[in-house]
Amino acid sequence: MTTFNLPDLGEGLPEAEIVSWHVSEGDTVKTDDPLLSVETAKAVVEVPSPYSGVIARLHAQPGDIVATGAPLVDFRDADDKAAPAAKAEQKKQEAKTADTEPARNDAATVVGNVPTGGGMLEETAIAGGGRRRKGGRVKATPSVRTEARRLGIDLADVPPSGKNGQVTSADLANFRSTAAKARTPRPSPIPGRSESLRGPRRAMAKSMTQHRDEVALCTIFDDADIHEWILKRDFTARILRATAAGCTAAPALNGFFNAQSMSHQPESRVDIAMAVDTEDGLIVPVVRNVEEMNLDQIRNEIARIKKATIERSVAPQDMINFTITVSNFGTLAGRYATPLMVPPTVAILGAGKLQHDVVAVMGGIEVHRRIPLSLSFDHRCITGGEACRFLAAAIADLEKPQ
Amino acid sequence: METIADFEIQYSQFLDPAGKPSADIPDLARDADKLVDMYRHMVETRVFDTKAINLQRTGKLGTYASCLGHEATHVGLAAAMQEDDVLAPSYREYGAMLYRGVSMAEILMYWGGDERGSDFAGPRNDFPFCVPIATQCLHSAGAAMAFQMRGEARCAVSVNGDGGTSEGAFYEAMNIAGARKLPVVFMVVNNKWAISVPIELQTATKTLAQKAVAAGIPGIQVDGNDVIAVRHWVERALARARNGDGATLVEAVTYRLSDHTTADDASRYRKKGEVETAWKLEPLIRIRQYLTDIGVWDEKKEQALLAEAATKVDNAVQSYLNTPKQPIEAMFDYMYKELPEFLEEQRDHAIQYGDNDGGHHG
Amino acid sequence: MAEVTLIDAVTMALAWELEHDSRVVVLGEDVGVNGGVFRATAGLQTRFGAERVLDTPLAEGMIAGVAIGMAAQGMIPVPEIQFMGFIYPTVDQIINHAGRLRNRTRGRLSCPMVLRAPYGGGIHAPEHHSESTEALFAHMPGVRVVIPSSPARAYGLLLAAIRDPDPVIFLEPKRIYRLNKQNVEDNGKALPLDVCYTLRQGTDITIVTWGAMTFETLKAVDQLAKSNISCEVIDLATISPIDYETILESVEKTGRLVIVHEAARTCGVGAEVAAIVAEKGLYDLKAPIRRVTGYDVVMPLFRREMDYMPSVSKIVDAVRETLDD
Repeated sequence: MTTFNLPDLGEGLPEAEIVSWHVSEGDTVKTDDPLLSVETAKAVVEVPSPYSGVIARLHAQPGDIVATGAPLVDFRDADDKAAPAAKAEQKKQEAKTADTEPARNDAATVVGNVPTGGGMLEETAIAGGGRRRKGGRVKATPSVRTEARRLGIDLADVPPSGKNGQVTSADLANFRSTAAKARTPRPSPIPGRSESLRGPRRAMAKSMTQHRDEVALCTIFDDADIHEWILKRDFTARILRATAAGCTAAPALNGFFNAQSMSHQPESRVDIAMAVDTEDGLIVPVVRNVEEMNLDQIRNEIARIKKATIERSVAPQDMINFTITVSNFGTLAGRYATPLMVPPTVAILGAGKLQHDVVAVMGGIEVHRRIPLSLSFDHRCITGGEACRFLAAAIADLEKPQ
Repeated sequence: METIADFEIQYSQFLDPAGKPSADIPDLARDADKLVDMYRHMVETRVFDTKAINLQRTGKLGTYASCLGHEATHVGLAAAMQEDDVLAPSYREYGAMLYRGVSMAEILMYWGGDERGSDFAGPRNDFPFCVPIATQCLHSAGAAMAFQMRGEARCAVSVNGDGGTSEGAFYEAMNIAGARKLPVVFMVVNNKWAISVPIELQTATKTLAQKAVAAGIPGIQVDGNDVIAVRHWVERALARARNGDGATLVEAVTYRLSDHTTADDASRYRKKGEVETAWKLEPLIRIRQYLTDIGVWDEKKEQALLAEAATKVDNAVQSYLNTPKQPIEAMFDYMYKELPEFLEEQRDHAIQYGDNDGGHHG
Repeated sequence: MAEVTLIDAVTMALAWELEHDSRVVVLGEDVGVNGGVFRATAGLQTRFGAERVLDTPLAEGMIAGVAIGMAAQGMIPVPEIQFMGFIYPTVDQIINHAGRLRNRTRGRLSCPMVLRAPYGGGIHAPEHHSESTEALFAHMPGVRVVIPSSPARAYGLLLAAIRDPDPVIFLEPKRIYRLNKQNVEDNGKALPLDVCYTLRQGTDITIVTWGAMTFETLKAVDQLAKSNISCEVIDLATISPIDYETILESVEKTGRLVIVHEAARTCGVGAEVAAIVAEKGLYDLKAPIRRVTGYDVVMPLFRREMDYMPSVSKIVDAVRETLDD
């Protein structure tokens, strides 16, 4: 049994109404014999038989509406080979009058089959235009997001430092290290009251950042007993001379370390950067070739530089290319410190506030004036022994009567 | 003022609509074998065409463009060609293609949505159907250029309709054919209608043949329903081309008895009386009458021919219906000679998603 | 208010403009007596006459070039190209002239025209009748490309296109010409060009699409909703220039993007959308952008055309993969 379904009539319509059958059940038909007339939206279409065979069953009656693809006719012994195409050809050969040709339904296309649904389109459509991003959501590249997910970190907790407000991979790394410690609430500055760092302060922020990132800081603390000084003055000059003495004793501390090339370059000249505190912050002019100067010369040079510094007339070339630093920080307060040298130099000698200390002497106790000293050195290339030798020589020079 | 250029277009008909020969009928008309051969092909073409329409109406073929009424033009032009000439058709010339060895099944495959229908087993060098109007005219000029450059005695023939003569490509093809004396014949089938646009709206010229004048090549108008006239003049044009004398335009005047395609409804824009009149001029009647009059045809032969044609058509239909779809990867495998690497991923993706074709969306 | 199909809406919009603007002329092959091969211009020649709705000879380059000439001289031509497969002879005229006229005359001459063409596949048509090459025109400066996906948008956007002072390529997805009806009031109200239309609001992923693919996409979205996946669906509508702010705002919300288009993948308009979001919305993305597209092959003949096109399952899978990233 072969069933012929209502074919797609090439008109895209979902159904057709049976107008009349040209065959009855039990009839024998040949392929292309007229089978039935169907009516679509406007007019009548003739459907030819697709097979030869015997009509077993008609599935619809005139007046019925049949859906496209639904069963129309059952054929017994269907065979679509022996086609009397000749008959159809004969028909065509005769002049046709338009009266006998049924009006064709409008397929409303010239090729193919435009599907007709007939259903209603239910939709809402919001026109864009004037929409802008709101911000307020976490921003990060997909790679950072993946990394955060892998680490189990909620990106919303990570303070962003990216130029576009995004969380960077560095931010993530920082967060990891701080997260390991007990988290205390970060103090929040009151918005609107910060001011940008400028000039020397800005430079300090930058150089300290560099120091922190690079140097292996170690500091040795000691004191120089100056009660035997004849003249109680020239502290800064004496400290500079003492520094030069330390450099002579331990030349390694007077020079540069290059971490990239892992190389150390000690210098013979002792150019000491002398930290001076000004209203604008710390500036560090350089006293050059201290190893060649006597105390008077050092004193005069210091005076000249201090005046120029306070007047802000220090030339740029006077601030660069030093080999070691001295910080006379203790003018107001502070005994010892862990001063930070500026890479690529490897040492800095800090002098704290002059003290009247109770010291033990042979046979008793005395009160001596002493200068507290803090020698910081870069332990990546300077050994403790070298640092101690430096300090011992500097103290020895400082303790001389003149 | 003196006239420095002039033109003249001749019209030729050897058999009138009733099949009566004119006085100047050529020798071809005495060659019964040739005539019967052409008639057989014309009948076969019509039987095939009718069946194809029925296949579309029963949902077994996609949109199809019928050639009803064009049998003399199509068979006549192909019968004039040599085997190693090249044909560049539009999308309606089944009579020509079947004559030249394209199979009925291949034509059905094409309209049935399968590219293998254009992989002709027969005329390997013929161009496939061409849908963008008149672009095939340039291809025939190009083929002719190749033959000329290689010194081969081969010709190219393109076929386009009255609508196609408005396209730039048509003029461009004729122009270069004229300038370079290319061995090409431009067959213009004037069936009076370009979908719904009648010839009167298509152009201001009285004939389409005279468009050849603009290209400096000869043009002739023939009765496209007279297979003797069509063959005779195409043979002459091809001989001219093969002789190195260049291109010709042959306009065959006929009528599109069918709709533009099975999805078109010509009754929307054509008057009923016009179609009726055209049926009286149709090509099969007159050649059959002439063959009968000269004693080489009769009703018995007619019935035998019809039966034979029906069988041939039905065999082709079976072959077509029984051909399974191409595998999915076939859409990738003929893009380039070698499949580029970047397409391999897409090919795998397509195979992975498998068969999705349940007909069109709806 | 009438229940109309997309093609009806096109007819309505054309009729409105023909009636209210005497400069408007419709021209093309078979548009007059026959009312267009898809009936887009049905009844218009009867109503407005053969001098306002013209049947032209068969030549696409001519149709585009003549329209440009008319537009430059004060008319508003609305030419039709019968199928996108036959639009290519117009490319010379559109690129070299329509898109350049205002610019190269510093505004002295301009080209207010709308070139309409049915586009896209899925109607079981012969070769060349299923093209989706909107990217060609999207790449041309000076030219707008608009693709409606509903009767209401076809009406409103076509009105806007005809009223726009610059050339518009208006591509109508033929597969949905008659698929559905919608209530559209014939009131001459245009919809804005250069904006996207959000068809569905959602929070988990943004899907950008256009044309007939909006239907497959919405079906996929309904399927995904059963798994509690909430998708935002944006119809590009104006393919060029793209309203990327709407897309970026959506991606900011969802963090994920899938683009669906029928046209072939390489250098399709989806690539442009992806590039914009990668450039301006990278920090909002949680996953790679995916495109579900036609393959980089010639559209197969109709036996295999549905295997070529994006399907509901291909879209669903792409969304799931993007959510898994």
